[in-house]
Amino acid sequence: MNDSSRKNSKLSITSSLLIGLSAILIVVSLFFPWWKMVFYAPQYPEGLNIIVYPNKLEGEIDIINGLNHYIGMSNFGAENFPELSYLAYLVGGLAVITLVTAILRNRKVLYGLIGIIAIGCLAGILDLHFALQKYGTNLSPKAPIKIDPFVPPIIGQNTVANFVTHSLLGTGIYFVIAAFILLLIPLWKDRKK
Amino acid sequence: MKKWIPIASGLLAGFIAATINFADFSAKTNTEAALSNKTDAEKVYVPFGQKDDYYLFASGGHSGQMFIYGVPSMRKIRTIPVFSQDSATGYGFDEHSKKLMGGYTWGDLHHPAFSETKGDYDGKWMFATDVGNSRAAVVDLETFTTKDIINVPNTAGPHCAAFVTENTEYMFLPTRFAVPVGQKYESLDNYSQNYRGVMSAVTFDEKNVKLNIAYQVALPPWSYDLSDAGKKGSADWAVMTTYNTEEATTTMEVNASQADRDYIVLFNWKELEKMVKDGKYEDVDGQKMIYPEKQKGGIYLVPVAKSPHGVDVTPDGKYFIASGKLAPSMTVFSFEKSFKAVENKDFAGERNGIPIINYKSVMEREVNPENALGPLHTQFDDKGMAYTTMFISSEIVKWDPKTGKTLDRVPVQYSPGHSVSAEGDTVSPDGKWLIALNKIAKDSYLSVGPSHPESMQLIDISGKMKVIQSAPVDPEPHYAQMIKADKIKTINVYPKDEKNKDAVYKQNDTKIVRKGNEVHVYGIAMRSRFIFDAKAKRPDVIEVNEGDHVFIHLTNIDFDEDITHGFAINSYDLNIEVQPGQTNTIEFTADKAGTFPLYCTNFCSALHQEMNGYFLVKPKN
Repeated sequence: MNDSSRKNSKLSITSSLLIGLSAILIVVSLFFPWWKMVFYAPQYPEGLNIIVYPNKLEGEIDIINGLNHYIGMSNFGAENFPELSYLAYLVGGLAVITLVTAILRNRKVLYGLIGIIAIGCLAGILDLHFALQKYGTNLSPKAPIKIDPFVPPIIGQNTVANFVTHSLLGTGIYFVIAAFILLLIPLWKDRKK
Repeated sequence: MKKWIPIASGLLAGFIAATINFADFSAKTNTEAALSNKTDAEKVYVPFGQKDDYYLFASGGHSGQMFIYGVPSMRKIRTIPVFSQDSATGYGFDEHSKKLMGGYTWGDLHHPAFSETKGDYDGKWMFATDVGNSRAAVVDLETFTTKDIINVPNTAGPHCAAFVTENTEYMFLPTRFAVPVGQKYESLDNYSQNYRGVMSAVTFDEKNVKLNIAYQVALPPWSYDLSDAGKKGSADWAVMTTYNTEEATTTMEVNASQADRDYIVLFNWKELEKMVKDGKYEDVDGQKMIYPEKQKGGIYLVPVAKSPHGVDVTPDGKYFIASGKLAPSMTVFSFEKSFKAVENKDFAGERNGIPIINYKSVMEREVNPENALGPLHTQFDDKGMAYTTMFISSEIVKWDPKTGKTLDRVPVQYSPGHSVSAEGDTVSPDGKWLIALNKIAKDSYLSVGPSHPESMQLIDISGKMKVIQSAPVDPEPHYAQMIKADKIKTINVYPKDEKNKDAVYKQNDTKIVRKGNEVHVYGIAMRSRFIFDAKAKRPDVIEVNEGDHVFIHLTNIDFDEDITHGFAINSYDLNIEVQPGQTNTIEFTADKAGTFPLYCTNFCSALHQEMNGYFLVKPKN
């Protein structure tokens, strides 16, 4: 094969299958939590959870909200995260685009897809960061217990009053990372020699 | 020869040798050996993070309560109010428990009994009886709270209870005191003719959590003391002891102790059930009453040494053992021989129309450990060995029911009534532990004046019996039952009940509704405030007029284990509790005008002290 034919060639069947698998992983990720924060305190050695799925919040949200009012933090709840109402559809759409990419086996489409996912991830991280910043810094001045504003990290540990919070990535996001890596493999595998 | 064979076989041999030398094939025997190597202090020490192996449910006697302890630590965990008011939990103040109490303020809780499946504790319900005011109760073991109480008519003090049949078909409540049917006035001169010792067959409707009386039996006017249900082959039968078959009516201490023999009542509850089904009963004030002298069958008398106290069925269901109390011996009777005697009508006459079985035909052996006095109750271990409390000689005697041989004895301080071994009255006792429930503890603990608490002494029965721990207890454990901890499955919070019209789960749904002179408050308690009407200027204030009838429905919306709130109105003599997720109602008349602070009584949070409001009662002009 000469250079020009390779240049216009489609991605290999193996690459196509990898991209297809990537689409499946993206769909699977919807059924697992993407991110969570665990609150530990002397009175809560078992930990209280905020578990974030693409479409819902789970965990001991009511208990955490009940406690948060002492420091004047506003309530966590699906109503404060409009993202939860459409994020699942975005992710579903992404899976469809990925699947189409697998079928088209077009290199440029794959570049585009990788770009979209990279931008999406960045946007997601920023969104979460600003949400955490809003919760941690926008504290009611009438709170019975006054504390300094704080921003919990997206991954890692933070201490607020008697609580130590641990922010962790969820199983779902690992599926997304795996899906992203699967998309990168064809770039290397079908690279120009 | 191939080279790998010697190498492989060498390695294999090495592994086998190592396994034989170092592997642990006997994890179980090792821990048991470790247990027996522990000191007494180590045996009862349960460090933080670990829990006790057993729950002990001790009757609280005339406190009307039940006490929960952990074994082997002997730490008290909880008091469950059953027949008496308890301001600590609001029991007897909130509407549900007030209704259960039926206007009574105390009870005398004697013998607890777990619900059973196939003769083993199933850990779902606990039954109890009230000798003070003739009631029976059921406690839910998901929440450790009393769920139903039933008044037992025609009966005066169901001491001879509670015992449940093998699959909790019935709980039988024979009476301690004989009274005329309907408890009508009747001269004591007519005692033998008109008084009766009524036994009630109580059923439990598990679905609706309701106790009901299926039928009653008008037994002779004797005192019925203790009882046990049959097991396995004898599961359709039950036994109970009697005293005062003399039918004495005064100075019982002397007059009820005259006859050399009293009786064990042996009855077949399946037969009684069938008699009721066949209409062989009389309607007495709405109760189906069997009169044994008229509706014959199913009930027999077994003579026994005078004034026996306990009667206990062996775990295999083959024997029942009567403890002599005033006779220094235990008598072992055979169920099989009893059934044969019934079949062959091997009777020695009748008493009050009930056939008396020939003593010699059914008695297996009389057991008389040397100098052991006042045998009261018998429990069993995993090998079927019997442990009998000796009230007068203050000791526990271990003996073999099959041979009558005394195996071991240990002194206790002092005067044990009942004892309880681990699941010791089921078809499969666990052995390990026995607790002596002692009546006198005058030199066991720091003195608290002329009267002392009772004492519960923990005895290690895994080898030679040894008292290894002692715990004081309020009056007064008559009997207790010990259940393996993992059989009990408690809930962490009350689940939301959307069908409950009194419940409010959202702050914004709280409201105060007025209907004429009735005021209904639908409020919530949460850390750390009350909200009775979210839209009011002051959401934590209730304002009524003098004379208004007030209903406060309060829901604890902290669905968080152990975050319990209380609710009290200062000077209004009321206090209730709402456990996590629970809705409770208190109803009262605002008969005092004035300003009354209301507050949370159960310490709930750092701002508990701020969890208050006002109850304002406007005076009538």
